[in-house]
Amino acid sequence: MFTLIIFAAPLIYSLQPLLLSRINVVSKPYDKEILKRKKILLYRQIKELEMEFDIGNLNKEDFLLRRSEIKAEVSEIITRIKKK
Amino acid sequence: MNTKIFSLIVGVLSVILFWIGWVSLNPSDEKAMARFISVEKLVNNEISSRTKLGGIVKKGSIQISKINQLDCVFVLKEGSAELVVNYSKTRPDLFKDGAEVIVTGEYRNGIFVADELQTKCASRYEGDLREESNYKLEELEI
Amino acid sequence: MTPIAGGVALNLALGCSVLTILALLVYNRTLDHRLFLLGQRLGLAISFFVFISTFILGYQLFTSNFDIDYVARYTSYETPNIFKISALWAGQSGSLLFWLFILSIFNTITIIQNQDRHLNLMPWVIITMSVIQLFFLILTNFITNPFEPTQADFIVQNGNGLNPLLQNITMAIHPPTLYLGYVGFSVPFAFAFSALVNKDIGALWIRSIRRWTLVAWLFLSVGIILGGWWAYQELGWGGYWAWDPVENASFMPWLTATAFLHSIIVQEKKDMLRVWNMVLIILTFSLCIFGTFLTRSGVMSSVHSFTESSLGPVFLSFVFIILASSFGLMFSRMKVLKSPRKIESVSSRESGFLFNNLIFVVMCFGVFWGTLFPVITEAVNGNKISVGPPFFNQINIPIGLALLALTGIGPMLAWKGTSNDKLVQNFIFPIAFGLLTALVLIILKLTVYTVISFSLCIFVVVAISSEFIKGVRVRKNKFNESIFISLFKMIKKNRSRYGGYIVHLGIVLMFIGFTGHAFDKEKEFGIQIGQTEKVANYNFELIRMYEQERSNHYAWITDLRVTDISGNFVTNLRPEKRVYFHKNPDVNKRQPHSELDIYSTFNKDIYSIFSSVSSDNSTAFVKIMINPLVKWVWIGGYVLAFGTIIALWPRKD
Repeated sequence: MFTLIIFAAPLIYSLQPLLLSRINVVSKPYDKEILKRKKILLYRQIKELEMEFDIGNLNKEDFLLRRSEIKAEVSEIITRIKKK
Repeated sequence: MNTKIFSLIVGVLSVILFWIGWVSLNPSDEKAMARFISVEKLVNNEISSRTKLGGIVKKGSIQISKINQLDCVFVLKEGSAELVVNYSKTRPDLFKDGAEVIVTGEYRNGIFVADELQTKCASRYEGDLREESNYKLEELEI
Repeated sequence: MTPIAGGVALNLALGCSVLTILALLVYNRTLDHRLFLLGQRLGLAISFFVFISTFILGYQLFTSNFDIDYVARYTSYETPNIFKISALWAGQSGSLLFWLFILSIFNTITIIQNQDRHLNLMPWVIITMSVIQLFFLILTNFITNPFEPTQADFIVQNGNGLNPLLQNITMAIHPPTLYLGYVGFSVPFAFAFSALVNKDIGALWIRSIRRWTLVAWLFLSVGIILGGWWAYQELGWGGYWAWDPVENASFMPWLTATAFLHSIIVQEKKDMLRVWNMVLIILTFSLCIFGTFLTRSGVMSSVHSFTESSLGPVFLSFVFIILASSFGLMFSRMKVLKSPRKIESVSSRESGFLFNNLIFVVMCFGVFWGTLFPVITEAVNGNKISVGPPFFNQINIPIGLALLALTGIGPMLAWKGTSNDKLVQNFIFPIAFGLLTALVLIILKLTVYTVISFSLCIFVVVAISSEFIKGVRVRKNKFNESIFISLFKMIKKNRSRYGGYIVHLGIVLMFIGFTGHAFDKEKEFGIQIGQTEKVANYNFELIRMYEQERSNHYAWITDLRVTDISGNFVTNLRPEKRVYFHKNPDVNKRQPHSELDIYSTFNKDIYSIFSSVSSDNSTAFVKIMINPLVKWVWIGGYVLAFGTIIALWPRKD
């Protein structure tokens, strides 16, 4: 009897959603999720760039140039996020 | 892709692949390669180059020299073919009658002189119980 | 719970896996969320039934139910409890169930962790993982069932027992650790496959699998090192790596996994190397399954391999299906996959990672080539030629040294490119120290490879140390902290980076250990009481030889006194020859075992094996090996694990 319950329970639990009425998939704003993630990664890149410059792996010219490039990317992404 | 990087990739790849090919055809160590062959083929064709054989230690065939305990002779059995093998190094623990072994060495004057002897690892999943049902042991006095 | 229940649980798991796949395939067409929930829950049900089945088998092993063939083969009443449990993975069918068990754990975690995340990816992630589970369920249900009853027409009184060679805690941990690694890569693979199906190659799928990859890699690394450690401590041939086909089977996925681990950093930061990453994860997972195949099929003769079984063709077919479907899908998605950005400079970190990938993959190819050499040569000219350690060493040593060099070069390169002045500034000290080391070693007349290896080790240590020093200096000046606080906080704030550097240091230490192998010395000899034998710069005197009856074995013990060339005492070594089941009337059932004694220091190991004793008990036959620097391999392993744990430590996002 116990064995029967152990075996039947997961099956019943699995089939339970079929008893509900149809649920249409409501997709989350997925693109926004990607953009937000990209923004975080770009911020991390700026921090890393600052660290590389502080420890002396990057000269000032390259540092300023790359930082401004990444900042421009971040601005663009923030604009796109705001639009969504 | 940057042409410089592409050329470097092709260069590195070519060098390494060439190196692998070169070593395959011209290994620097004579012990690098051995031809895997059956006992029957070895004996019939008297192949003297470095070879690798697999088989079972014939029951009762292990003879250890009284002068030098490291020196031993046994008969390797593969199917119906048999071959006398001489091995003079420390024998693995699992080496005994009926053990599955792989020997590597050279065939000289009717005897196989092995410089490598391997027995199958104790953690084999199948095989040792093919011939006898080993699990009908009597209770052991310990 | 009876064994029958175990078998039924496996049947139900099989049924659920088929239903899961069907439910989610239909979901993809209809987008009816009920079907997604159904698929998700059925996915959990598969795991649940596998857990039940595994626990039942474990219970049967623990309670010594010899009516089950598996229990009778791998345990006996005398087997200690812990080894009754570890017998779960000692045999073919049990180990496959155990594989399935771990896969089910990971499947459960993946489903639960992602209940509300990656909803576009999850259906195909679950489908992929269910297909993998289905494969193993087919094996355990139809081909090699662990619940098979004992084929005997009498009552089995006692089981066969576990070989004493395997009754060792390391041997108990080594297979599960490796499996955790192998199976761990199924999750990144499932996400990669799903990303391809959904044409969703963006940054998100990488984020979901970075930790999984690191964890799986850690287990695989530890599993491989444990295997080597066990071989060295227990097997008595004085080495830890023999380029055996089964060892190679675990090393190949490790190589591609290491490349993948590095390469996804580039994709996450710069959105490059996307195709590379797909190729690497497909190869890694395929090699994990291929490795499982190599171990079981009997295709390659190896000290580990098992005699021919019907599993071989089945595994090979599965590997083929994985490769064909994954690469086929990849090529069909090539347009989306190709990165818009290009690597601009050779002296950039991206470029370093690219060459890193290349060299790891080619090294993997080299190992693959050597492992399958007999099969290849047989296909080409009918001669089956096997290759041994000298072949693998000749190919892999130079490649390994190139990788070692990259370990030091990579961290000093900046993203996008490094200016010439910075290149000089970063490299001048490491190169100087490296060259100085080389000079000293050349004067000491060491061989070419050992000079290069040690010099590169110094190069890398100086390069990595300078990264730490520079970082600490900046923090110290900025925040006015002590050196140790600065170091701690610096690592804490940049766990991936500095954790990675620590792993690299671990690798360097291991290379130091590997290089010591070039100086190994060994000698086999017979010795009588009172006699002394010289090996390298040590003298070995046999003080006494005696016998002892112990609880589960009989032992012959030699007592060797070791002194150095000046006569100073170094240590006592007591290697033993033991016989287990010594009272068994059948001589062939008695199990001899050499218990080694090893004297280990930082600069060398003195390794002693008692081979045999002459029939008149007057002469002991002993093998002595002097193995320099071996300890650094194990120390390096600890450092590698430590570094990985730091890199894994969760950060507050």
